[in-house]
This record gives sequence, C-alpha cells and structure tokens, in this order.
Amino acid sequence: MAVQITTKVNPPNRFEKFWVTMRGNPIGLTGLVMLVSIILIAIFAPVIAPHQYYTSGDVSSSDIYNAPSSTHIFGTDDAGKDVFSEFVTGARVSLIVGFFAAFISVAIGGLTGIVAGFFGGRVENVLMRLTDIMLVIPDLPLMVVIIALTKPSLLNIIFVIGIFGWTTTARIVRSQTLAVKSRKFVLRARAIGAGNFHIIRHHILPLVLPILVVQAVLTVSYAILEESTLSFLGLGDPTAPSWGQMLNFAFSRGAMSTGAWWALVVPGLGIVWVVLGLTLFGQGLEKVLNPRLATHHLMPGRPVLAAKSGTSVQAKKALLEVQNLSIHYVNDEGKPPARAVENVSFTLERGELIGLVGESGCGKTTMMLALLRLLPAAGQIVDGRVFFNGKELTALSEEEMNDKVRWSGISIVFQGAMNALNPVRTVGEQIAEAIIKHIEEFPRDQVQTRVVELLDLVGITADQKDNYPHQYSGGMRQRAMIAMALACNPQVIIADEPTTALDVMIQAQILELLDSLRKKLGLAIIFVTHDLGVVAEICDRVLVMYGGVTAEYADVDTIYNQPSHPYTQELIKAFPDLTKPKKKLSSIPGYPPQLDDLPAGCRFAPRCPSAFARCHIEQPTLHKLGDTHLASCHLVEVPK
Amino acid sequence: MKRWRLIFKRLGWALATILFVVVLNFFLFRIMPGDPARQGIRDPRLTPASIAAIRVRFGLDKPVINCFQSLNPVKLGDCNVNPLDTQFFIYGRNLLKGDLGISFYFNRPVTEILRERFWNTVLLIGLGQILAIMLGVVFGLFAAWKARTAVDYSALISGLVAWSLPTFWLAIILLFWGTSVGFPIGGKATPGMSSYPLSQQFGDLLHHLFLPTLAYTIIYMGEYMLIMRSSLLDVLAEDYILAAKAKGLSVFQILKDHALKNAMLPLVTIIAINLGFTVAGAVQIETVFSWPGLGGAIFESVARKDYPVLQGAFLLIAVSVIIANLLADLTYSYLDPRVQVD
Amino acid sequence: MKQKIVYILVLAALILSACSGGAQTSTVRIGWSNGPDSLNPGVAWLAEAYTIYELVYDSMYDLNLDSTFTLSLADSVERSDDGLVYTFKIKPGIKWHDGQPFTAKDIAFSYTLYKAHDDFPTLNSYTEHFVSSEAPDDTTFVLTLDQAIPNLESKLVFLYILPEHIWKDHTEKAAEFENLEMIGTGPFMMKEYKPNEFIRLEVNKDYFQGRAKVDQAIFQVFASPDVLAQAIKTGQVDMVTELPNTSVESLKSAENVKVAVGAPFAPGLTDIIFNQVAPENCPSEADGGVCSGHPALRDKQVRLALAYATDKKKLIDLVMVGYATPGIALIPDGMGEWFNTSIKDFPYDVKKANQLLDDAGYVDANRDGVREMPDASRDLKFRLNWPSSSIIDPRMAELLGEMWKAIGIAVEPQAIEDDALTSKCCPALDYDIMLWGWVADPDPATLLIIPATDQIVTGYNETGYSNPRYDELYVQQGTELDHAKRVQMVWEMQQIVHDDVVYIIPFYEQQVQAYRTDRFTGWLDNQPKLALEDVTSIMLIEPVK
Repeated sequence: MAVQITTKVNPPNRFEKFWVTMRGNPIGLTGLVMLVSIILIAIFAPVIAPHQYYTSGDVSSSDIYNAPSSTHIFGTDDAGKDVFSEFVTGARVSLIVGFFAAFISVAIGGLTGIVAGFFGGRVENVLMRLTDIMLVIPDLPLMVVIIALTKPSLLNIIFVIGIFGWTTTARIVRSQTLAVKSRKFVLRARAIGAGNFHIIRHHILPLVLPILVVQAVLTVSYAILEESTLSFLGLGDPTAPSWGQMLNFAFSRGAMSTGAWWALVVPGLGIVWVVLGLTLFGQGLEKVLNPRLATHHLMPGRPVLAAKSGTSVQAKKALLEVQNLSIHYVNDEGKPPARAVENVSFTLERGELIGLVGESGCGKTTMMLALLRLLPAAGQIVDGRVFFNGKELTALSEEEMNDKVRWSGISIVFQGAMNALNPVRTVGEQIAEAIIKHIEEFPRDQVQTRVVELLDLVGITADQKDNYPHQYSGGMRQRAMIAMALACNPQVIIADEPTTALDVMIQAQILELLDSLRKKLGLAIIFVTHDLGVVAEICDRVLVMYGGVTAEYADVDTIYNQPSHPYTQELIKAFPDLTKPKKKLSSIPGYPPQLDDLPAGCRFAPRCPSAFARCHIEQPTLHKLGDTHLASCHLVEVPK
Repeated sequence: MKRWRLIFKRLGWALATILFVVVLNFFLFRIMPGDPARQGIRDPRLTPASIAAIRVRFGLDKPVINCFQSLNPVKLGDCNVNPLDTQFFIYGRNLLKGDLGISFYFNRPVTEILRERFWNTVLLIGLGQILAIMLGVVFGLFAAWKARTAVDYSALISGLVAWSLPTFWLAIILLFWGTSVGFPIGGKATPGMSSYPLSQQFGDLLHHLFLPTLAYTIIYMGEYMLIMRSSLLDVLAEDYILAAKAKGLSVFQILKDHALKNAMLPLVTIIAINLGFTVAGAVQIETVFSWPGLGGAIFESVARKDYPVLQGAFLLIAVSVIIANLLADLTYSYLDPRVQVD
Repeated sequence: MKQKIVYILVLAALILSACSGGAQTSTVRIGWSNGPDSLNPGVAWLAEAYTIYELVYDSMYDLNLDSTFTLSLADSVERSDDGLVYTFKIKPGIKWHDGQPFTAKDIAFSYTLYKAHDDFPTLNSYTEHFVSSEAPDDTTFVLTLDQAIPNLESKLVFLYILPEHIWKDHTEKAAEFENLEMIGTGPFMMKEYKPNEFIRLEVNKDYFQGRAKVDQAIFQVFASPDVLAQAIKTGQVDMVTELPNTSVESLKSAENVKVAVGAPFAPGLTDIIFNQVAPENCPSEADGGVCSGHPALRDKQVRLALAYATDKKKLIDLVMVGYATPGIALIPDGMGEWFNTSIKDFPYDVKKANQLLDDAGYVDANRDGVREMPDASRDLKFRLNWPSSSIIDPRMAELLGEMWKAIGIAVEPQAIEDDALTSKCCPALDYDIMLWGWVADPDPATLLIIPATDQIVTGYNETGYSNPRYDELYVQQGTELDHAKRVQMVWEMQQIVHDDVVYIIPFYEQQVQAYRTDRFTGWLDNQPKLALEDVTSIMLIEPVK
C-alpha cells in the first residue's frame, strides 16, 4: 500500500485533524449544528421560554388548544399552557434522560465488550451469552413492565433505558477489542511484561475509544427515542414535561380530534431534530474514524482527454504500443492533481516479456490499470494514446473495452490474489464466468472441462475446482489467478507484482510457470515488480520508472551492465550480490516524491548522488543512447 | 457432517436459552404485584370470600416454590411442601401441555388470545417487512452504486430521517392524514364484513392494512436502506470487483453476480433478528391504529396487569427471536462459505 | 413514490367496490374505547360488558336513566310483612333466543348459581342475604332472604337470568365458561364477537316488551377517546360513548354531530383523600398497617383550610374542560334522591384558609414559604400521589399543588403504578394525600360503607376516618325498610362526612357522548343520566327517514 509520507515539519494535532476532516464532511457537520442548536436552546430554556412561570390563575378553559398566534407561537396544549415554553423546557428533560441513559449503556457495554474481548475464554463466553440473552428478551415490553413495577420517575426511566441499551455496544466493542488484541504492539507490550490493566488502558482503550464514541452518539439517539416512546405509552414521569410526555398528554387528551396538530407536531419534530442531528453526527464521526474509501470500483470513469503530444504513426505494428501516456489523479479540494504518470512510452511485441520496475508509488500499477481503462474515479488519462493490435484503446467506449479488450485481449493478474477472488464463489465458477462471457461459441457442457484444463496448466488439481478461495493456500491462489487470466486466450497478460509476499520457492515456481506459458502460448507479458532479481531472470526488456516518469528503458542486459540513469545505477548497487563478498549494503536515502507536490526539475534530483544545479531546475527529456536504450537524465545528454 | 454438528450445537443453545427465559418469565411475573381480583380493588362489592375464591381459581393460593409462599410481598413458606404442588412446577407442567394459563382480564385461555393476536401481527409485520426489504434493498443499491451523486444523497438523507422518526409519532401523523382522506380510523376489518363476499372482505382488509403497513414500511425501509448502502459501498471497493470489471463484465453483471450476495450478508442477519422481534415490534403501531395484534395485546395487558397474557406473550416472543436467530445463523453460514463450521 | 400512488389507486378501486353493496337492514354502529372483558355475566368488571348484558339478557328489574326501577320479567311482586319473602308473578310466553321457553325455573337456577359462586366477584355480593330461590311453578318465583333489606331492586337489577338448559352443564366451573353464544331473553341477540374488536347484535323480533326499531347494533372498539372523536366526525360510527372533553368544542361545530352531556350511568366518585387515621385505629403490622401519614392531616382545621383553598371551579374548568358538576358529598349528584342537596359547600376563600391555619398555630416561622407544625417539628409538606394510569390526575395534581402553595402548603407529587398505589393506600395507610376514586352501585350503601370504622382493617376505609355516630347510622340504614326514613339517614351521613372534611370532592364527572343526527333519531339524551348505549336508548332509536 503506498503511503505518502508528509514532508511537513509539524504534524497536525488531533483536533486540527478532526476539524479539517469534519469540514469536508457535510453530513457530520449538519448533525453537529443541529445538536448544538438544540443543546443551546435547552441550556437557555428559562431565558427563552416566555411563559414558563405558569399559574393556573392566568388560564381558563378557553385557553385550551389554542392555535398558534402572536402570543403563543406554537399554540397552547390541553392545560392551556404555552407549547413553545413546554417545548423548550421539555428539551432539557429529553436531553438529560437521553444523555444519562446513554452514558449508563455505553459504560456497561464498553466495559463488557473490552473485558470479554480482552480476557477471552470462559469470561468472554459468559459475557457474550449474557448479551445474547438480553438481545433475545424484547426490550420495550420488558421496560414497560419494569417501569410499571417501580415508580415512574425520571431516575427510574434513565436507569431502565440504560440497562437495555448496552448490548449492541458490547458486541461492537468486543469485536474491536479482539481485532486490536492481536496486533503486534499489544503482543510486544505483553512480551515486555506489561500488566493487563496497563495494556487495556494504554493500548486497547485508545483504539476502542473512537468506536465507543460513535456508539455513544447512536445510543443517545436510541435513548431519546425510547424515552419518548415510554412517555407516550404513559409510563413516563408526568411531573417532568419531556417531549414524549407532551405527546402523551396530547394524544390522550384529544389533540387529534380537536385538530390541535401543533400539540402533536411540535414535540415530535423536536425529537426528530435531535435524533436526526445525532444520527447525522454519528455518521459523520464514523466517516472520520473509519474512513471508508470515498470511491468504489463501479463509479463512472473520467473521459480520456485528447492527446496533445505528437504521436508516431508507423510504430503501430507492435502488439501493444503506449505513446506518451500521462495520467493524473484529480483532487476534489481544489489542490493541483497528482501527476501519477507523465509522458511514458513503451512497446510490447508478441511473445515479449517486459519488466516494469520502480518503487511503490512510482506509477506502475496506475499505468497498468490505465491500459485496461480501469482507473479509479479520480484517475484520468490526460495525454497520450495506447494502441493494441493497431486499435486505439484510449478511444474505445466502455462496451467495446468489455467486449474486445478486457480479458480476451489483455488480462491482468492482480497483486494480492486473495482479495481479487470473490470469497463467496468457488474458484471454478469465477474462471468459468470469464470463459462464458468472452467465448460465446464455447459449448456450455465443455466449460468445466476447460476450467480443469486451465487449473492443470498452473498445477492445481481438478478436485480443487469447486473450492472457495479461502481454502486455497497463498501460492495456489496466485496460480489460480494466472489460470483465470489465461482463460480467454489473451494476447497480453499484465502480472502486477505476482510474487510479492510469497515465499521464495513459490516465487520460483510462478516465474517458471509464466516463462513457460509465454513460450508455449506465445503470450506477451508485462511483469510489474520492484525486485531486480526477478527481472534479471526472465525479462527481455526493462522499463524503469521513477516518480511517474520513465527513468530508463532498455533491454535487460543493458540495464544490468550499462545502467545510465543514476536511479537505475543505485538500484543495481542496492541489489545484494552473493558473489561479491562483504560488500556493504547500500540503500537509496530519502523518500519518493509526493505526486501532487512535485519538485521542479528532475524528480530524482533530491535523492540523486550525481545531481547538479540544472537537475533541480529543468526536467530532463528522454535521450536516446542506443537503438533501444532510452534514459531521462541530463548526464547522458548527447552533446550537440 | 460438520454442518450437522453446528446445527445441533446451536439448537442445544437455543433450547437452553428458552429454558432460561421460561424460568425468568415465571419469577418476573410473580415478583410483579399482580392480582386477578385487582380490578375490583376500588369496588366495595368485592368481598374477601370472593377474593379468596378468585385466587384459588387462578392457582395463586399455592406456594410459589418451596420455602416461598409468595414473592410480592415476600412471604416465606414451608420448605417441605411437595415441589410438584407449587406454582412453579404447575406452570412448567402446563407449559409442556401447551397451556399458558388463564387471562386475568378476559377469563379465557391465554393461548387462545395469543393465537388470534399472533396471526394478526404476522400479517401486518410480514407485509411491512417484505415491502421494507424490497424497497430498502433497491434504494440502498442505487444509493451505493451512484455514490456521491444526488441519488445517493437524497436516499441517504431520507433513510436517515426515516430512521430518526419516533414510530408512534409517524403513526399518529399518518392516522391524522389518513382519516382525512377516507382511510379507516383503526381496526382490522369493518364489523359485519364477514357477511360480505370474500373479495370485498379482502378489499376491506387491505383498506385497513394500508396505513399501519405504510408506517411500518417507512421506519424499517430507512434502516435497511442504510445498511444495504454501507454494506454495498464496502463491497464495491473490494478488489474482486475491480477484477470482475477487468474481466469485462458489465456493471449489471457485476452487481448481480459478485456484489449483491456479499452485500446482503449483513442484511440477512438484521432481517432475521427483526423478524424475530416481529411479534413484539409493533406495539406502537398496533396501539395507534387499534390493530388487534400481539404488540397491542402486550400494551393493553400491561395497563390491565393481566400477567398471564404478558407471561405468555413474552415466552412467545423469546421463542420467536431465538428461532429467528437460529435461522439467521444457519442461513448466514449457508450463504457465506468462509464461516467455520466447527 | 410511484409505487405508493399505484397502491393507492388499487386500493381506491377496492374501496369503492367494498362500499357499494350492503345489507338492507338498519345497523347502528357505536364506538367505544374498550370492549367487554367477558361474555360471562358472572366474571365481568367493565361497564361495557354490562351494556351488552343489558341488551342480551333480562333481569327482574330495569334501571331507568332517572334512577328508578321498573319490573321487567314479572307482572307483579309481593313482599311478605316481615320483608323476608318476595313472590314474583312471571309473564307467560317469553322465549329464549334459541327458541326454548323461558320459565321461573330459569330464575331460580340463575340465582342459585350466583349465590354458589364466590368467584363471581361482583354479582356474588348481591346474593349476600339470599337464602333460597324457588320456582313452585313455571310462572311463579319465590325469593327468601335472611334479613329484611331495603332496596332489593338494586340487588336484582344486575343478576341477569341465564338459561338453565345451557348453563346446567357449567355449574361446577361457571367462572370458566366463556359463554360465547350468549343465549338470553333480551331485545338483542348475539351474532358475532371478536374480542376487543367488535360485537355484532341482531334484534330479537319476538322480544316480550316489543321489538327494537333497529335491526342490528354493532359496538366497535377504538384505540382511545380521541380516535372516537375522529370516528364520529368522519361518520365511521353513528354514536360514541365517550369523548375527550377537549374535543367537544370542535365537535359542536362539526356537521351532523350532536354532543350530549349528563350524569354518568354508573355514578363514580372522584375524591381527594387524606390519611387521617388515629394511631389507635391503625391496623396491626400483621394486617399490613404502616400508618405513615403526616400528623397535620389528622387535624380537621388543616383539612378544612385545604378545602377552602381548593378552587373547584378552576379544576372543573381546566381539568374537565367544564364537563363536571361541583363536588360536595360522598354520594354523587347523579344518584337521584340519595344525593343530599342541602349541604352548603365550603367556598373558595384563600384568605379564610390562611386565617384558619394561622389560628390553629401552623405558621411559617422560618419564612421559607411553607408552614410548619405548631411545635415546629415538621414542615407542612405532603406527599401527593395518584395512579399512573390516569391522564387527568397529573393535571389536577399540578393545579392543587399551586392552589395549596398559596396557603403555605407544599406537596411532593408522584405518580405511582396503580397496584402499588393501592398497596400504599389501604390498609397500609402509607401516604399523605391521594387522588382517588370509587365505582358506585345504584344503591348508596356501596359508597357509604367506605368511611366506616370496621373497614379500616379490610382496606375499604382509605382514610382511616372513624366516627361512632357514622358507624351507627350505617348499620341502621342497612335494615331500614321505610324508604323516606332511609333517605334521611343517608343524607345525615353525607353531612357528617362533609363537616368532618374526610375528603375533598372536587367534582362529579359528567358523561359526554355524541351521535350523528343524519343517521338515527330518537337518542335518549334528555334524562338526568346520559347513556346513549344503554338498552333504554337503543330500544327507541330508528333510522332517519
């Protein structure tokens, strides 16, 4: 996963981060505003309520259920009281009950969840069974019964709501605790002998707290709804004028038939306002604490911009030709786009295996996705063209891509095969799916045979066909992905770091497999990797990328024996050579550039040992060093 | 084979929970101050002899359990009585026979009362849930698919608002509006409808069902839509969706074959749990619309201190929920192959 | 949403088809907020159940809406000189709804059944003094008592005559018999019953007093009085038996709706009770006595001051929206001649109230707004409780709190769940002031028994009040056969209770009902008592031409 390391000196503190994120979170912000407004109203109730000192001396039956007017902006209720004053006073009661009841729930739930998750075993079993039982008992009827048994006072109601609302919190907190418990830093803390309480307080709690906060917000809304329901059902405290109590009086004392809609609508809207505010705020918080990606893969892509740079026409006889491809990631907040790929060109012939080398974040995967037009919603091809079999890929429509290019022409083996296979469908099904989609004439009864063939090709036995991805080992999954990629007899396979995170033996197997397949089936392969050793083994040509641009592009021998770009040279140097004894391991100091904040001049300049003044000012162009050797560095510029 | 072990294990646990609920039920309602003769507390015609006779009829003269004559107020009793002659065992024995006791208020067997009400509730809630699920899933799907567009935002806001409405308040507002445009003010059927042809009876039933079902659907649709949306958003960000896209499948195919099943999994659990609470969940709606269901029966029974009915209703609800949970677990483990079967 | 519009259109079509086509019979639809709790006359408590019994069954007497009684099944009655034997001459030719002939034997059977069952909570008490019920022949019924009691009619009016040929199989466990068919002799027959939904009755064409003018009566249950008001406004029912008082104004201006007000059929008593039990009268601990009442309430002057400080007009106006009559005596004003009209109530006089307390030594020495006991041991702070099921009591409690604050009395208001309230009240006497109430019988004895000393232990005497003169009078009126003399005694008892300020009776609730003028006419709304659902009214109504 590419991690952009900020170069700012002062990292923003928690509150600044929170505020910045909330600012971009209209839903959460709306919720916050709604909440704050009602809390302020509740706090200043005595000041705002014009008729809070109600004495019966001022009221007679003609004041009952008066419509809204200038003296009573929300009308009067069944006792002749001003609804607005009651509403504002009632806000206090409803909010207090809500908050305190939620506090009890969250405290119990949080404690239960953490204890259960952390200690596990019998303790967890008992606590979770208890939670299950609480869940099984219907809470509204039981609440009704308990309050009927005790006296209907505010304290009782708070208590009763509190002891019913903790089960969801307990479950969620427990899951979170379980997830955190097995993380490395907790295990480390244990290893150095930290006590349980210490671990809980210093390691678990901080990570559970965000979830607890979100749950707390949601529990408050639950508590307020419950209180209003209980009051409406007549179990509230009639001496405490909560909104629910106002509704109870209105419904039981003829508001509806009198047409006194204000007596019903106003307190109801109050409840809706608070609960909605809490819900929105909770949603917003959740987004902050649990940032789900703001995009997904089925969002519509951006249109390909017309190519501006010159393109050569005659080179279209290659199988795959990429000309001056530039890809940007558009930024929503008005900041300049991230220039992920800039002006990259390469070709691929039939049967050729090209290695695409570079650090994480240098644009390799982006470019590969662009070939299949699979860029995420923020990505956009802003310049250049791609030709496949003479057809301009970058000009095709989505349907045409689906029918003619994707999988049947170019297929891809993703990095991290576990997630690339749908866990709830069998591997065989997913391979068959590709066949059925693209090879229409394929007789249906022979699809399964074909699937078995493909699996056999990659060394997976037929009995594994109907298993699910989680039943395969890591290496098997990778091989299954390869089988799937072959299913429709494509001409090009993109293998995106197919051996990362696999052990060396499997790695060797897969490399051998790919190579043999290439020779057997005449495939062209683009092999994306950051491992030079692999490159040396199987590639014909190598494209080295840095910071989104081509650093060097040559055949494999040249790259190894005559690296011309300083980056390539450093890469080769950093590669441990078992033949040379006691060579000091070198690494390239510094970090990859931030693609939305690129330095002027050569992108490698900040880290380049050979950089000189011009490198920091002017970006080098691709210089031709031989027939098939290109490098973008000022140092290799052929003097005119 | 492993699946059967799972089923047995879950069943065993379910039975244990039911047993626990039965015992809890019994003691809970003995701790309540309940008296079948309570109706007449403010009626001077009620003689002490009558009170005693009534208590005998309801079996309340027997000790609650060994050593305790009664629990409210706590009165100790003889520890050496025949345990089979205590209220606790009589209750258990009757339970096994399917006898839930006699209602204090109606003087009829509780099973009869609950049976009538149960099906009424199932009708209302069944219909409401089906509609809520259909609409919720469809809107949630569109909202997630068209994330960050106007469709998504409006679906999200309406879902959140629906979720924030107090159920009884929505019911009252709908009743207010509905009666002014000709919908009935409550009940399940116009009295005397049974002498009309079946088609008219059916139309009358729909007429009465409309408002309460509408209320129910709105509330639950919001919840399901929100869950479906967030679930699908998660699913659509997964790598296998990208892989499916790379395979050249159309958006429709991807949604149908890859996304939906995964996204529905959390929804399945929630739906099952909600269905379990079906029998209790409609207290507010049934009360406002005078719908003769189980929820209304519970509410009325609390007001009337009709404890046998409450006791029976609680048991019924708990059993439904447990069964629903069981089914949810089994369905989930059937749908999601990743769930370990041991 | 389109889906809903389609749904509505489909429904509209169905509604139209459902509304057309109906029976040609005239059906009166009555709405109420509670259904009968049982169809078995022995076990029911609710007024709604009794309404149905009145329509389906007959008893020896009819209770009219002016509190008089009329012989029903019998042509004549003779009472022996010692008052112990009553002989009734039964009308011949009466039939049961299932066609079987009705005889005096059915009466004997019924009374014997009622007497034998202790578990018939209310009806059993009416048979207290019955010794034997015999039917020497089909048209003669003889009732023998063990004591000469006045007002036998009030005892017989609710003892509905049940068919022996049906009930004889249920004599053992009569309380468990559901009696869903309800075979009676009354003006209406039971046709369809959905518990807590509706009851449908068809007219008995052969009723011996002449058939009712309507063909069918349907009683339908609605969620609340508010919903009833909506129902009558929208014409979904023809009459409603209750309304929220607050909706009356808007109903008065509704089309084709008439609102009627009167005394309730079953007179009820609303009262504010004070815990005034003397320590020597407190029930023992074994009997459940707690007696935690504030000592100030034992002082009549304090109760008197509270009475003067209570603005009953304001209570009627705000709590009952004007639909109540001022309360004075223990017997409600709807009970006809039994109500003592000569009592002069304490007027609303805050100055006088303050004066009384000052004179009695209850001053506010520490100037905190609340008076203290003369010995300064306690504030005059009283617990004020009411049943949590009541919707008007919280409003009343609010107002009382304010009114009494004006004379330096503080209250601690708290709603308590009904059963818990009862156990706090009596015989525990563990309260200070409660908002209470009783259901009454046509005969005043059921209310008069309450303040009797020997009822402190049984729990009926909620205040712990004890007055030997009152006790004496109670015994006397129980056996006084001279009607006029008995009325005198009852009046005197009311005066005593009033003068001793045992209670504050704020008001007598009125019954508020409504009916549509465009459907049926002839509703009996001009009687002292208002009960349009009562059999007397139903018998008279006919469809508007």
